[in-house]
Amino acid sequence: MRILEDENYRWKVAINVVVLGFSLFCVSRERPPFDETSAFERFMIDSLAPVQTGVSSMKRGAGSFFDDYVANLNASQKNRDLTKEIANLQSELFRFTEVAKENARLKELLQFGQEIKRKRVLAQIVAWDASSNFKSLRINKGASDGILLQSTVVTSEGLVGYVYRLTEHFADIVTILDANTRIDGIVERTRSHGIIEGMSKQRCSMKYVTRTEPVELNDLVLTSGLGNVFPKGIRVGYVAQIERESYGISQNIEIVPSVNFSRLEEVIVLVSPGNSKKIKEWEALDNPTTGGGK
Amino acid sequence: MRRNITDIIPSYFLTLLLLMALDIACTTFFPLVGLTNFRLPFNILIVLYMGFKLEHPTLAILILLTQYAHSFFTLEGWAMGTVAGIIVWMIVSYLRDLLHFSSSFVTGFVTQIFQMIWFLIVAVLIYIKSGDVSYLIGKLWRFIPESLIISFIAPFFFSILDKIWSLGRGGSLGDEV
Repeated sequence: MRILEDENYRWKVAINVVVLGFSLFCVSRERPPFDETSAFERFMIDSLAPVQTGVSSMKRGAGSFFDDYVANLNASQKNRDLTKEIANLQSELFRFTEVAKENARLKELLQFGQEIKRKRVLAQIVAWDASSNFKSLRINKGASDGILLQSTVVTSEGLVGYVYRLTEHFADIVTILDANTRIDGIVERTRSHGIIEGMSKQRCSMKYVTRTEPVELNDLVLTSGLGNVFPKGIRVGYVAQIERESYGISQNIEIVPSVNFSRLEEVIVLVSPGNSKKIKEWEALDNPTTGGGK
Repeated sequence: MRRNITDIIPSYFLTLLLLMALDIACTTFFPLVGLTNFRLPFNILIVLYMGFKLEHPTLAILILLTQYAHSFFTLEGWAMGTVAGIIVWMIVSYLRDLLHFSSSFVTGFVTQIFQMIWFLIVAVLIYIKSGDVSYLIGKLWRFIPESLIISFIAPFFFSILDKIWSLGRGGSLGDEV
């Protein structure tokens, strides 16, 4: 028996069993976006992320030189087109401003809902996830800029995701494309509820929508506000595929996100002052017997 | 023969720095040039190299530390990769006499086989946890091109790691000689 004779072999087996057992235990326990970040991890991310920022900005600098000088052949034509487009957009913006004012007046009148006041933090993306199986990204703003865990991240196009890991100067965001994301969504036209999950292939799926709901292609999907993470009414995407079987109680819906993730450079983090309270609520839900575990 | 952990630490530290540099490149350059759906898993390549060439009782801890360093750049975490890495290493230990990295083709081929085993282990763990087959199918489609590229660059990459670990081609660190 080698295990009895060879001391090195005994050590090897013992270490293997301990590390393998510990890893398996952690595999069973870990819930990727909700795991707590240790102080060492925060230190390492704060040390390594500036290098990522540097590499990203170097590439952006080279890219903007190419775009501004080398590839800028039709600039004057583009300029004319854009001026025309700006004029159109300005008239449209005026119309929207009027609609917004009217909406505010009516809301006040009906006392329907409350305006959610959130601090906005503009951030730049410095890196994406190192594994193609996960869709997270890193931004150059962190706790020192006022960002909190589980803050909602958006662009002008719609929802990006939420903050799951936070250091002093950087934050990691799990996007709506990641399979670990769950969002309570609503189809704008039909007001049908469903749970939106990432599919890791530039699309999301909307589950648990009752089969009888008359959802159609290109219907707009918004956040419902349920779940205590995302504010209500943020654009998530458009219905791109519907599978409605003749049996079962729900239909399978695929959504193309309104945000173009392949061209994402800057994002806005919406920080709610009530986030710390929210975390305590989540802890209480996770550990009902201990009343929050702390 | 080098059995002391103190002999291993400098080479291992350099390997970790290499992994971090490659992860930084992967997380910044790849998305900026439009490759948002593909990343090269250099952590797997490094763990496979250590499994193939380093026969040391503490290798399981080194695999854990490698995966932990990789987890700074991903939502993936370290645990699943550590389980896969250790099981792959245990399989390699039993097949060590059969494995010879005599040519670039053999190196690439062996790397591909063990990447498939790695994928199988991770897929089983994910299935046990989530029961979601469609996610695994998506993962398989990404694994195929990524693993082929990793196998293709493995001979070149292993020669760099051989220099870091001061090993000759086909040598094994920690063997009785």
